[in-house]
Amino acid sequence: MIALTVFRVAAYIRSHRVYQALLFMLVLVAIVYGSRAPKGAETSVLTDAVVLAIPILAWSSRSLLDTEPDQQRALSEISVGGWLRELGAGLLAALVTSLVLVALTLGWGLALGVSAAPAPGEFAAILALSGIAALAGVVFGALTSRVILRSPAISIIALLLGFLAMLVLSASPLYWLTIPLVSWMKSANSAELTARLPELAAISLTWCLLGLACYAWLRRTRP
Amino acid sequence: MKDVDAHLDPGDVIEVAGVNGAGKSTLLRLLAGLTQPSSGTITERPAVVGFAPDRFPMEQPFTVTSYLRHMSRVRGGARWEPWAERLGMAHLLGLRLGELSKGSAHKVGLTQALMCDPGLLILDEPFAGLDADTREALPSIVTELSEGGAIVVVSDHQGGLRHLPSIRHWTVVDGRVKEGTVGQRATVRVDLPADEVRSFIARMRDEGYRVHDIVTEEQP
Repeated sequence: MIALTVFRVAAYIRSHRVYQALLFMLVLVAIVYGSRAPKGAETSVLTDAVVLAIPILAWSSRSLLDTEPDQQRALSEISVGGWLRELGAGLLAALVTSLVLVALTLGWGLALGVSAAPAPGEFAAILALSGIAALAGVVFGALTSRVILRSPAISIIALLLGFLAMLVLSASPLYWLTIPLVSWMKSANSAELTARLPELAAISLTWCLLGLACYAWLRRTRP
Repeated sequence: MKDVDAHLDPGDVIEVAGVNGAGKSTLLRLLAGLTQPSSGTITERPAVVGFAPDRFPMEQPFTVTSYLRHMSRVRGGARWEPWAERLGMAHLLGLRLGELSKGSAHKVGLTQALMCDPGLLILDEPFAGLDADTREALPSIVTELSEGGAIVVVSDHQGGLRHLPSIRHWTVVDGRVKEGTVGQRATVRVDLPADEVRSFIARMRDEGYRVHDIVTEEQP
């Protein structure tokens, strides 16, 4: 499965599709970190960047999964010994790519976007949220990939509207009905990120795992 | 597919025929494990399956060599080089997949299917677009694999394997599989001078026949 994961990442890089995601990420960090955040705002700024990176991570994951032609997916499935392994290799490749992209965002922010490093506890919480953001991007990208949504237009609309719906819902009292992105940002802004991390992480991971299960279930009938 | 009941033994070579849309590709996908039957079961499928599609996916950002290296790693380090040489691909190895002709791309598909020493080999229209040398080589490759115990299932409009003596013929009609009797096997005992045995065996194998035990007897 690892060899197939490497194959998928190599195809994504060699197809040059990775530059689209890098370009979007560059625009994001240029906007979010355009002026260095004052001391005390570092946790809030870094968390905002991680949340806003999610649609780019989803785009990147979708592109990576769509790089593989349908017929090659069949060959990979046979070669690796089953559809679940093929599915796992694709998701793992997307996760690795998303983690690299979110690490670049965080690294850029720490180097050029903030005036001081956040406290260790808060930084650990930001790292945890970054991991969840990468996973959320993978889930979103997988659910809007070609194997699930054949039409590119519907896929892109679903990705963008889905992210907007997630933002709106997470700003409401029903924030637990989705990955609570706005709650992440509010908590970081009010210095409650560390305290609320267990609750927010549990809700976020639950939705991510449900999304992954949904993707796997849909893939059973979409070889 | 409806009412399909078949048993494949190690060494079987099956030629699947049928008009377009009859269900040949569906049958091949079912046998390969790419599609699950909505009812019924397919059991005891060999662990290693090789599959060469009728259209190799050329729209991938790799050269032939890098693609086959990746597929070899996915297959746990299978050796693809001997197959590439045997299929006459030496001059193609540095080319990008997107630059290949249909026939050349087809050879890449065959190589990735053959490299893993499959217990079940499924070839979808393997002769389409192939050059004359490879068309001649393919029946002996199929025969070798069959003699090694592999099951080979071939969807073929062109009848490229039709002269193989051990082949079983399936016809797919409206989703049903009918087996012809043309493929029944017969064993023939041949008497010939001992010094001609090697060339005779080579000739028979080249023509796609299976050669079993060789018995040398003193003439009175």
